Amino acid sequence: MNRIQKLNALKTIQYNCKEDELSQLEVSGIECIRQDIILFQDVSFKLHTGDLLQIDGVNGSGKSSLLRLLAGLMQPNAGEIIWQGKEISRCRYEYQQEIIYIGHLNGVKDALTALENLRVMVALAGSKPDIPLSNALDQVELAGMDTIPLSRMSAGQKRRVALARLFVTKAAIWLLDEPFTSLDASGKLVIERLIAEHCARGGIIIFATHQPMEIENCSIMHIHLGKK
Amino acid sequence: MLKQFHRLVSPKYFYNLAVLLTPWFSWLTALLMIAGLYGGLVFAPADYQQGESFRIIYVHVPSAWMSLFIYIVMAVAGGVGLIWHIKIADVLAKSCAPVGASFTFLALATGSLWGKPMWGTWWVWDARLTSELILLFLYLGYMALQSAFEDRRVAARASAILALVGLVNIPIIHYSVEWWSTLHQGATVSKIDAPSIHIDMLIPLLIMALAFKAYFVTIVLLRSRTEILEYECHSTWVSELLNKVESKT
Amino acid sequence: MYSYWNVFRVIFLRDIILASRYRAELANPLIFFIMVIVLFPFAFGSDPELLRRVTAGMIWITALLASSLSLEGIFRSDYDDGSAEQMVLSGCPLTLLVAAKITAHWCLTGLPLIIIAMLTAYLLSLSTQALQALFLTLLLGTPVLSLIGAIAVALTVGLRSGGMLLSLIILPLYMPTLIFSMLAVENAMVDLPVDAELYFLSGMLALSVTLAPIATAYSLRIRMS
Repeated sequence: MNRIQKLNALKTIQYNCKEDELSQLEVSGIECIRQDIILFQDVSFKLHTGDLLQIDGVNGSGKSSLLRLLAGLMQPNAGEIIWQGKEISRCRYEYQQEIIYIGHLNGVKDALTALENLRVMVALAGSKPDIPLSNALDQVELAGMDTIPLSRMSAGQKRRVALARLFVTKAAIWLLDEPFTSLDASGKLVIERLIAEHCARGGIIIFATHQPMEIENCSIMHIHLGKK
Repeated sequence: MLKQFHRLVSPKYFYNLAVLLTPWFSWLTALLMIAGLYGGLVFAPADYQQGESFRIIYVHVPSAWMSLFIYIVMAVAGGVGLIWHIKIADVLAKSCAPVGASFTFLALATGSLWGKPMWGTWWVWDARLTSELILLFLYLGYMALQSAFEDRRVAARASAILALVGLVNIPIIHYSVEWWSTLHQGATVSKIDAPSIHIDMLIPLLIMALAFKAYFVTIVLLRSRTEILEYECHSTWVSELLNKVESKT
Repeated sequence: MYSYWNVFRVIFLRDIILASRYRAELANPLIFFIMVIVLFPFAFGSDPELLRRVTAGMIWITALLASSLSLEGIFRSDYDDGSAEQMVLSGCPLTLLVAAKITAHWCLTGLPLIIIAMLTAYLLSLSTQALQALFLTLLLGTPVLSLIGAIAVALTVGLRSGGMLLSLIILPLYMPTLIFSMLAVENAMVDLPVDAELYFLSGMLALSVTLAPIATAYSLRIRMS
């Protein structure tokens, strides 16, 4: 018992000093039970810098739940999620500064303008934006729409405002749940380019989508949930 | 020590322990209840002021004690479940609530029954009765919240927070109600648990209090057994258990 | 980097701006308040002497109901559009964000409610001492209501039985505030000192300011999971 603990302690130290070489995000044996139904069991994977992971699975197989677990919104019923050698619930705020989670819901306010929404997002992320906020809107092809409240925008445009966060906040890990819903072809292209850039920078992206994806210069890893 | 504790809080071990302990506590409850009731209803002398009707204290006072005691147990168990993620604590907290609410209701009902001959009315805004009523509301709120969630784990955690908030509030509620009642109507004849109680009356009262405690433990063990089985319905030991039961019948 | 104060200010202003875009909704609790006050004379008769005795009580009870009805709005829209998720996942302490939201909510509903309540009490010819006491109790008491209520809202937001369940949970917790406030006003009406009750209310305010945002943050995190 004691020896194992010591070994574990040694391992942790190694993780801390050589974090670049070891995996950034390690998921081991996680299980998710919702309302007495087992969604998935014993899911394990390791991600290193520059990795792109797609979560596959039919409806109801727990894709969104896995992303929510990875974001730390839910706790797994068993197993653990380790980021840079630490359980994510043990370093919540450090970890949360390193992730962007974009779920089914956009997390934007209809009554606010695009610019105001971005300002709130930046404040919540707790970091200074890399580029001016209106530039980010240009990037998602919403130039000139800064001062229009979101209630007057289409679903696709709202999704673009939500995705504009990827430009303004710095985070190593992106967790995207169906990022392409209600986006048109050009919107999809913008996001695909962004994903490729982020991977090239050494970021980690995990996303769930039904659509088959091809991204240049990036190999996509897959994980399959539910029965095959 | 720690190892033993971990074994104790494993659902399977706790379930077996509960199965083992339930009959013992049921018998203990029956014994104490008979002794206490005999002592209270037959053996103890009648009160010189209140006559025979004072005997209702043998139900009223222990259930009033239990109502608060169970709330504290429930909130502490909820807190333990919240902090250390111990399933058994969640299960215990959930099983406590209906028992506690029943005792609170019993205390209210007996208090009201006692009030009719004493005060000439079913209900007076006496401080103790009023705080007991608010306690009942707290229990009802807890149970309503517990049943509003579909996921067990979320339900357990959310209601644990409510129980803890209630626990912080209980002393405040108690003193505010006490203050309010003394200012409004002066001291009422709260002979119901006066300090100067005769020893012959006190002993049955204490036996009844123990009987209620034993009853509480029995019921909580029974309820938590069911809860554990539902909670753990995916685990292998539960399916083994079910197979065993099925093969027997 | 960034300062916590800055984050607090952004969230606070966000809620104020949002409310200003839905100005009509802002008035609803106040209209509700006045309407309920008008109901009392219909129930009790218009005897001025009797009404004067119960004025403070009906104002407080109505304020209690108005507050518990308006409370759901603290997290409701954030829950529906996913902003609450983003707050829970923010790199800043959730307690801080929640505190900003509660403050904004009190400024938007509590403050106007106090003004309307004082106006009503004045029109119903409450004595000066009683008015003073009523004002102080409302000033100390309504933040307590918002703070305690926020915990319950965070727990019940988005549930099927939301609104009713919320009232069921918070009304027992509101009782001490109501009791101390009413005792203070009653004492003031007969020229007795009100210090003790006000100290109690201040104590409760201090307790809820320190503990309620933490409990609310915790609750919201649980609700999101």
